[in-house]
Amino acid sequence: MKREVVITGIGILSPIGNGRGEFWHNCLAGTAAVETIPEQWRDYNSYSSPIWAPMHEPDYTQYPLSRAEKMQMDPVQLFTLISADMAVADAGFTKELRDEKKNTYILPEVHPDRCGVVMGTGNGGLVSYTGSAATHIVTPIKKTVDAYCKKMAGSDSSSDTPGPFRFSSRFNPFSVAMTMPNACSAVLSIKYSFPGLSMTVSSACASGTTAIGTAFRAIRTGDIDMALTGGAEYLADPYGGIFRAFDTAKTLVQADGNFDRANRPFDKKRSGFLFSGGGAAVLVLEEAEHARRRGKQPVAAIESYSETCDAFTIMGMDPDGRQIDKMYSTLFTNAACEPEDIAYINTHGTGTIINDETESRIIEKVFGKKPLVNATKSLTGHTIGASGALETAVTALSIQDQFVHPCANLDDPIRELNFVTDARQEHEIEWALNQSFGFGGHIAGLILKKPALP
Amino acid sequence: MAVPTDQEILNRINTVVEDILKKKPEDLSLDSKFIEDLGADSLDTVSLLMALDQEFDEEISDKEAKGLTTIGDTLSFIKQKIAAGAV
Repeated sequence: MKREVVITGIGILSPIGNGRGEFWHNCLAGTAAVETIPEQWRDYNSYSSPIWAPMHEPDYTQYPLSRAEKMQMDPVQLFTLISADMAVADAGFTKELRDEKKNTYILPEVHPDRCGVVMGTGNGGLVSYTGSAATHIVTPIKKTVDAYCKKMAGSDSSSDTPGPFRFSSRFNPFSVAMTMPNACSAVLSIKYSFPGLSMTVSSACASGTTAIGTAFRAIRTGDIDMALTGGAEYLADPYGGIFRAFDTAKTLVQADGNFDRANRPFDKKRSGFLFSGGGAAVLVLEEAEHARRRGKQPVAAIESYSETCDAFTIMGMDPDGRQIDKMYSTLFTNAACEPEDIAYINTHGTGTIINDETESRIIEKVFGKKPLVNATKSLTGHTIGASGALETAVTALSIQDQFVHPCANLDDPIRELNFVTDARQEHEIEWALNQSFGFGGHIAGLILKKPALP
Repeated sequence: MAVPTDQEILNRINTVVEDILKKKPEDLSLDSKFIEDLGADSLDTVSLLMALDQEFDEEISDKEAKGLTTIGDTLSFIKQKIAAGAV
């Protein structure tokens, strides 16, 4: 008999709110994150895109993190731990302290050998390495410049080197662990004492969806009964270097004047995606019977997962969209449903010219004009490796509440789909789809369904 | 700014040690050796060093750190740094 897989817990840190309740409330309210980029970044470069969706680091003292963890981890790993802590509580698990010094726990209601972790991230702890690289490279340069300035100013003058020298004089001894992408999964396996499956996947902007799909498969095949899975990203280095990488590639939103209205997926006036500082979403996935035994009503069920690859280009997508089509076929077969069953599609919806054109065309071809369509990135900006997980959470919450958040700034749609611009209307959503596409040509999709009653 | 007393410096050092090694105040004395008495492993010693850096806002070099075996050593070292105006 097929093993059913359900979502029973959600934890979120995002540019529009932290925690499932605040995040979802702000989604439905159409709250969009946008600010001008930090002034400090302009010390290093001038940029084509003037705005971003900042992900401010949360007040870590509000969460059960030790002083050592805060020193030894990149924000992407701290985000993962915080989101998982929220998800575990949301799923109704109690936790017991296992090792006070290491700040690790056990979950008495699960068998640790039957639990796994699959996280997705586009860039892992890249920001930490940026800091270490600055220490490595700038220290000798600053010494040279200081000596030169002192010589020019005379030996009796104390010289403070002018210029944007922002770096730590200590090379961070935890750089390796802070940088490695797999730490996103490892920190969760360690935190909850899960000795089995522990995997980090990286498929750029599809990473979060790929991770959840991989965890779904591991539960469906019987390898494990429960998983912590999702995506995490942190890209706000103090120099704006990561922002510059996307800006230089001409992927980011352009804005002159009205910054609040610039991020507009599926609008004729769209001009690129809104860079986000990051975020994280961790979901608790369980085999349905496992959840039922402990009396936990799921948020939604996952019915199928599929992934394909354009095999076409490294920083873009095949405008033909044929691999998206192929992904749909597998999704429908495995979920035993038809395109007509899908009531809601949470799109990849970045706001780039080619993504939105290709995505909307293939949606119209396969699904017609009936399903509700929105783009969570119109609110959060593009959180890269976290986005697929945030959007799977949005899809699940839309099924649970039967409400769908609006697609912000969509005044003049490029195609006549059933775009949601008003969140106040209740809908009947039995089946829904979340899809993500990533640089490299990665395509991943999940079909979710209203869970069976207990 | 007033020069902190020995007791004030010691309290700050002890708080760092308690946080990183999860020890109780009664476990700590000036003679406590980080590795032998307080059970610090190599990861802990690096964490202690970084936390002391942050606590007193000054870098402790690896060479200087080698001389810091006990809480008392650390107190003397930090006192010297403060006296030298380095902290």
